[in-house]
Amino acid sequence: MQIQVHHRPSYALAEVLLEAEETVVAEGGAMVSQDTHVTLTTSASGDKKGGMMKGLMKGLKRALAGESFFQNRFTANGAPGHVTFAPTMQGDIVVHEMTQSTVMLQSTAYLCGSPDIVLDTKWGGAKTFFGGEGLIMLKASGSGLLAFNSFGAIKEIEVDGEFIVDTGHIVAFEDGLTFKVTKFGGGWKSFIFGGEGLVCSFSGKGKLWIQTRNAAGFGQLLGSQLPPRD
Amino acid sequence: MHHEIKNKPDFASLHLFLEQGEQVVTESGAMMGMSTSLKMETNMKGGLLGAAKRALGGESLFLNTYTAEAEKQRLDVAPSTPGDIVHLPMTGAGVMVQSGSYLCCTPGVTVDSKWGGAKSFFGGEGLFMLKCTGEGDMWISSYGAIHPIDVQGTYVVDTSHIVAFDETLTFKVRSVGGMKSLFFSSEGLVCEFSGHGRLWIQTRNAPALAGFLHPFRRVKSKSN
Repeated sequence: MQIQVHHRPSYALAEVLLEAEETVVAEGGAMVSQDTHVTLTTSASGDKKGGMMKGLMKGLKRALAGESFFQNRFTANGAPGHVTFAPTMQGDIVVHEMTQSTVMLQSTAYLCGSPDIVLDTKWGGAKTFFGGEGLIMLKASGSGLLAFNSFGAIKEIEVDGEFIVDTGHIVAFEDGLTFKVTKFGGGWKSFIFGGEGLVCSFSGKGKLWIQTRNAAGFGQLLGSQLPPRD
Repeated sequence: MHHEIKNKPDFASLHLFLEQGEQVVTESGAMMGMSTSLKMETNMKGGLLGAAKRALGGESLFLNTYTAEAEKQRLDVAPSTPGDIVHLPMTGAGVMVQSGSYLCCTPGVTVDSKWGGAKSFFGGEGLFMLKCTGEGDMWISSYGAIHPIDVQGTYVVDTSHIVAFDETLTFKVRSVGGMKSLFFSSEGLVCEFSGHGRLWIQTRNAPALAGFLHPFRRVKSKSN
């Protein structure tokens, strides 16, 4: 499998090139175009192993994390084929090669990946939930290619020591990093009036990907100006 | 007339430079700036019926025709969505353009709406196409980047990502995968193209953005 990214960084499109009989797993609704001999199957579980209940449980956990309950598997039948995927929001796509490793993804950042990468929901914990900024993480582990997307451009940061990121700007990070969610420094006055909300304080060594725009911030800006819904 | 497309692909704008007597037809509302000796005329191209058909196609009822009444006139054109613009030289063969992606053309190009057919209507995804024929230049726009594909045989595209395609391609609308996928895949309907020809797709779709924004709307308070 190869993944090429076109039209970076604003309107990135991931083109997945599959060998014959190869499969790519993708987020529901992300498919833009494909060869006719690529077929889609939908299942509640990302991996075909495990019984139906196990699949349903995984699906439920993914739904809690803001991802689709169901995952789509695209398989090239009989000949090599291609599929293209795009995220909902304007922004970039990063392709990350994994070898028996783990990456934590912000819940809406997952786009597509190799079938040998298992997605699991890792509850961010009470502190992140308190943040109210949807900081629920997906844990992607295994080997193969993983493509994830951002709102805005993606900046890669090599953290060695400590680094602080606004919770709404986190895209993904390697599991060599641990984090805790804290209110931004400067005491309660800054927390309430500084407009900075909660931040994630990372420590350890590993890659961190941040996005240059905040989707929830954008949603709130426009949503408040739209007519109310029923 | 010569043209420049600037700020590709994020916020593309089209800049047309007209000699005296030259004309350009635009979607109404697309004019961003212009020289003072351009005369603008709003007309229902193709008569009342043609205009009504275009309105069905999601295009505005009226097209604006700009005529240069002096040398070196300039017209700046911008689409309504953030995204790309592509120039299509028209040489007589027809091009089908997704309603909403039509931006402007020279007067030799005829814009006519074509009913997408019951199947595409069933899709509910506004798959109305404008049939553009004739000779001259045409410019189309997208939400997101425009990605060209050379179709040789068959190819499948999500209906909300179609921008334009050569009339030499035939298409049918269908679902992807089996029954389970129809209900649970969130993939909606796709267009299956066959034949040989060019196809342009857009890398984002507006309904998906609207879907993201919807939960951020305030909830209407109950009066009783």
